[in-house]
Order: sequence, then structure tokens, then C-alpha cells
Amino acid sequence: MTPIHYACSSSYFMGLVGLVLYRTQLLSALLCLEAMMLILFISLSLWALQLMSTMFAACPMILLALSACEASAGLALLVATARSHGSGRLKNLSLLRC
Amino acid sequence: MVFLAYLLLIGLVLGLAAVASNPSPYYAALGLVVVAGMGCGVLVGHGGTFLSLILFLIYLGGMLVVFAYSAALASEPYPESWGSWPVLLLMAGYSSLVGFFSTFVSDGWFEGSWIVVDEFSELTLFRGDVGGVALMYSLGGGILILGGWVLLLTLFVVLELTRGLSRGTLRVV
Repeated sequence: MTPIHYACSSSYFMGLVGLVLYRTQLLSALLCLEAMMLILFISLSLWALQLMSTMFAACPMILLALSACEASAGLALLVATARSHGSGRLKNLSLLRC
Repeated sequence: MVFLAYLLLIGLVLGLAAVASNPSPYYAALGLVVVAGMGCGVLVGHGGTFLSLILFLIYLGGMLVVFAYSAALASEPYPESWGSWPVLLLMAGYSSLVGFFSTFVSDGWFEGSWIVVDEFSELTLFRGDVGGVALMYSLGGGILILGGWVLLLTLFVVLELTRGLSRGTLRVV
């Protein structure tokens, strides 16, 4: 495994573990999700650059556009949670009541 | 150049360990800025200057600024950085795990495997990443329109999510 391949794979899995093992804030879980998207962008760009396939270079751009959509939806959920539950902590989302 | 690539990759992995150890969102956003900066350095080292510019402008300048504003919204009086014990233990654990598993896969990591292909090409005018992204505007016009449509749809999704007042996604208690 080349060092760049190992760095990107291990970073992606660390972001995934950080998303799964969240602690208190919802926003830190969203930031781990953004870190995963960033590593995906870097990996796709390196794929297009190292394999000299220029047509594939449009793929990380499209990924970035869709990642922006996902980030904005997650932040809207965070704002709605903070507005209706008082704070953005995940412990406040324990009661199954609207 | 080889040493620079090595430093940038180590910075990338450590920065992501800093994000994954879940400190307070201020410091996690700082870690994400570090990861994006190191990633841009790696991309530039491989000859992808346009993609690195896009990463800096759109990701750091657009999305992370919005995340920083949201971190100011969900602020807490005593933010938890890497000085507190759970965060420091998690970060040390992630870094040591990555270092431990690198011993299993580091067979061919001698100096020759780090040289990027961009160093051996002669002076060119047509860069690969710029030409590839330009295809998104000519042959791939459909995906461009689809991406714009999805972004417009996301605007309406965000407006509906934050409407509140017994008609939104999360009702006001």
C-alpha cells in the first residue's frame, strides 16, 4: 500500500470512528462528516492526477457541490435542534416527543 | 519535495485525528482547516493546482466559514480543547493506532515511491485537472445542470427545515 493510499484510508476510517463515537455536541459529529467528505475529495483528485485520467477530474467538483448540499442540510437540522431544544447537545434528543 | 510530501501527509493524518477526537466545535473546525491546508499541499505536489484552488475557495472559504458561524451559534462557556483528558486520550489513541497499523503496510515505503509524476513532465500548457474540469462545462453539461438543480433544491430543503412553529421538521415544544 502506498503511503498516500494509507494516509487517505486511515484518515477516512478515523473520521468514521469519530462520527460513530460522538461525545456531546451534534456539530462535532457534523464536522467529522465534513472531514470524511474532504478526504473523499482529496482521494478522488489524487486518483485523477496519479492515473493521468483527465476526464475524471470533474468528479471531485461534483462531489464538492453535493457535499455542500449535505452540509447545509445537516446545519439546518442543527439550527432546528438548537432552536427547539435549547442547545445543540445530543443528550437533549432523548425524549421521543415532538 | 519528497520530504515535503511526507510532512504534508503526516499533518493530514494528525489533523484528522484532532477532528475525530471530538473536541469543542471551535477546535474541530481548526483541525479541519489544517487538514484542508495539508490536503491542498498534497494536491499541488501532484500537479493539481486548480483542484487545490477550488478546495481552498469553496471548501475553506465557503463551507467552513458557515460551520464556524454555526459553532458560534452553538457556543458553550468552557470549550473543550485537547488539554482535557478524554479528548487527549482519544487523539493519542487514534494516532497510535494509525502508527501501529502502518507497520503492517509499510513494505515499499522507501524514498523512490514518493516521487510524484509531475516532476518528470516537461513544460506543458494543458494541465490535466483544468482540462478535466472544463469538460464539465462542455460534454458534461447535463451534470452541471443537475448539480445546479440539486443546489436549488437544497435551498428549499433548508428553508423548510428551519421553518418551525408547528409546521417544520422539528416542532417547537
